[in-house]
Amino acid sequence: MPAGDAFTPEQLYDIERAVRHAETASGLHFSVYVGGADSETRPFALELLNELDDPDNSVLVYVDPAGRRLEIVTGANARRQLTDTSAGLAALAMQTSFAAGDLTGGLVTGIQQLGDHAHQAPLVHAKEPHQQ
Amino acid sequence: MRPRNGRGCLRTRLLPVITQLSGHTLLVFVGIPALVVAVLALLVFASSIAKGPRYRPGLSWWAPPVWIGGPTATKPDPASLPELPAGTTTATATGVARTTGGASASW
Repeated sequence: MPAGDAFTPEQLYDIERAVRHAETASGLHFSVYVGGADSETRPFALELLNELDDPDNSVLVYVDPAGRRLEIVTGANARRQLTDTSAGLAALAMQTSFAAGDLTGGLVTGIQQLGDHAHQAPLVHAKEPHQQ
Repeated sequence: MRPRNGRGCLRTRLLPVITQLSGHTLLVFVGIPALVVAVLALLVFASSIAKGPRYRPGLSWWAPPVWIGGPTATKPDPASLPELPAGTTTATATGVARTTGGASASW
């Protein structure tokens, strides 16, 4: 990859739109980091998660294009909504696109999947008394 | 008498033809094909030029890091925070995630 920005403005817009939709559907905060890691990818992704404003309710997607590594990290509360199995399925979808060289498509698809899996259906009539 | 060497024969035959070529002939037989080739090449590479450089797995990555949905403000240093009263939970005050989950993959 020659020197320059990782994404074009249109690609950035697509990723940001997917992030916004996932946040609206799940109520969680989504963050995407694309770049190299100073150390091992998992500890580095955890450091990034802890730098967020509300790490417990956040989902961080970390992509290392040079090292060809992907990490999805969920905070303590986010983990209740987004299980590790669901995160693994989204990681698999992203991995397929990344292997084909499509970073933007992989991120958009994966974030959409994460948002869908973390989606919480609204509780209808939850406050009404139970009637037989 | 015909020359024995084939290259010499060709030069002998082409030399009078080349000297008689006019600018118009060159334009038709060289300029127009070159223009067609240039237009086709432009059409083929136009999309990749417009999209910019593409990520190719296995090659080095030079682009600066991108963080979408990153921290809005720098967090205060935990060491400089005022001391909390006894019994206060510090888990949310420091903003550090307690137990994390997720998944990993490589390609």
